[in-house]
Amino acid sequence: MARTLAMFTDTSLCIGCRACQVACKQWNELGLEVPEWTGGYQNHAHFTDKTFRLVRFIEEPGGKPNGDLAWLLMSDVCKHCAQAGCLDACPTGAIYRTEYGTVNINQDVCNGCRYCVSSCPFGVVAFNESTGTAKKCTFCNDRIHNGLGPACAKACPTESIQFGFRDDLVKKAAKRVETLKGMGFQEAQLYGHDSAGFLGGLNAFFLLLSKPSVYNLPDNPRLPQRNVVVDSLLSIGSALAVGLGVLLSFRERGKGDTTHDA
Amino acid sequence: MLKTPHWEMLIVWYFFLGGIAGGAYFTAAIADNFGGARDRAVARVGYLLSLPLVAVCGILLIADLGVPTRFMNMIGTLKFWDPMSIGAWAVGVFGLFTFVSSVLSLSSSASRAALRRKIGIVGIFFGFFLASYTGVLLSNSALPFWRDARLMGALFLASGASTGIAAITLIMFATGQAAGEGWGRLKRADHVSMVIEAVLLIALVVLLGAGAKPLVSGHYATLFWGGLVGVGLVVPFVLDFVGHRARAVGALAAALVLIGGFVLRYVVLMSIQA
Repeated sequence: MARTLAMFTDTSLCIGCRACQVACKQWNELGLEVPEWTGGYQNHAHFTDKTFRLVRFIEEPGGKPNGDLAWLLMSDVCKHCAQAGCLDACPTGAIYRTEYGTVNINQDVCNGCRYCVSSCPFGVVAFNESTGTAKKCTFCNDRIHNGLGPACAKACPTESIQFGFRDDLVKKAAKRVETLKGMGFQEAQLYGHDSAGFLGGLNAFFLLLSKPSVYNLPDNPRLPQRNVVVDSLLSIGSALAVGLGVLLSFRERGKGDTTHDA
Repeated sequence: MLKTPHWEMLIVWYFFLGGIAGGAYFTAAIADNFGGARDRAVARVGYLLSLPLVAVCGILLIADLGVPTRFMNMIGTLKFWDPMSIGAWAVGVFGLFTFVSSVLSLSSSASRAALRRKIGIVGIFFGFFLASYTGVLLSNSALPFWRDARLMGALFLASGASTGIAAITLIMFATGQAAGEGWGRLKRADHVSMVIEAVLLIALVVLLGAGAKPLVSGHYATLFWGGLVGVGLVVPFVLDFVGHRARAVGALAAALVLIGGFVLRYVVLMSIQA
């Protein structure tokens, strides 16, 4: 396997220009969507089957050290989790991991069962009605296989989105957090950088200026498939109880009628 | 913001009919193997009911896909930790069991009956699986309520048993096979599975705590309390208790159990998706 590639989104540098969002649409030919009123500058409210990069505009009351409203920007994207719920859920093998560690959906294999949609802890994967398949960020799979970075990272004018080898980016990100803390951003923190942390680490990880929950990110996302062993055992327990109950209901009790005549 | 998979009416019907198919089959196989001569009719009805139901299940599942012509792609992969993957396989394998058992149940030869019982013993496990994996599938998702309802598979299994037995009861009644002593045993089996179902339902709601809101106090609460708890569990018990084994009352109770089973799947699926 090649060295794992990653995208590091440093939200402290984001100016909300949405060049990433547009570049993503253009390169991936994602098509037009009718804008929706979200109460602010953000469009759309959530990832869709045609929006893989999404700049979030977040207002945090009292978020600034002096108690003023903090206006936070974050270019959000599929996290390409090292332990990906969508990939584990996919029953056709359409969702696969590339040699660079990214997660991709093979559009020719997906049959549209939509289990991946409900298995993504970040609400990224979306169903496309016209193709009947699941869609999400491809990490510009075609570009990275031809030596180009993802379109969003290429378009970003402030290097808020950086593309590179994961281990390099993690080191860089850690330094950046220290710098920001020195500048007074006490809540500056990395999200998903730790490969020993949740979901085995995210291959698209973030630098946040506030708590993850402020950005609508789960504090400690869990791989959905972690439930399967216990839940199956509970079902087996139920099967034993029901099976025994039904068996005792039908069993002949000393009536001399145990013959198995068909 | 998390996304829901839009598993709507086709999947509600699939969960409901799959539960009946699994429940009817394992009830039939248990009655066939451990019951007496007068339970033969129960076994035959159970086998013959599960076959068309599982066929309908397959059609519902395929129709719900985004690209139905690619349904065979599920059979190129087997992930033993993935309920959707083994579920797709199990529907197919269980279908084979219902077919063979149904064919053999039409024969009166003793050797074929012996073979049918042996096949039934193995098929019981697939029946259990089909009735319960749909709940495990939901609790292995990232969505609140589903992912926290860890007893959903266990509950669906008990509900599959009660609805499967209720369906057999109704068919026996409608085809004039309700006269024999087998009726009381069938009713007893239904009561046992309904008690287990009620216990699991209470445990599920209690364990969910505040997470049970979509069921017990949300938009679907009326349907949950009235349709599942009332019509589906309490009223059938009362009917059977006061009905004193009157066949028509028993059949009515069975019909209500079926309605309760449908409401359970409907509320669980739709309450967080609508």
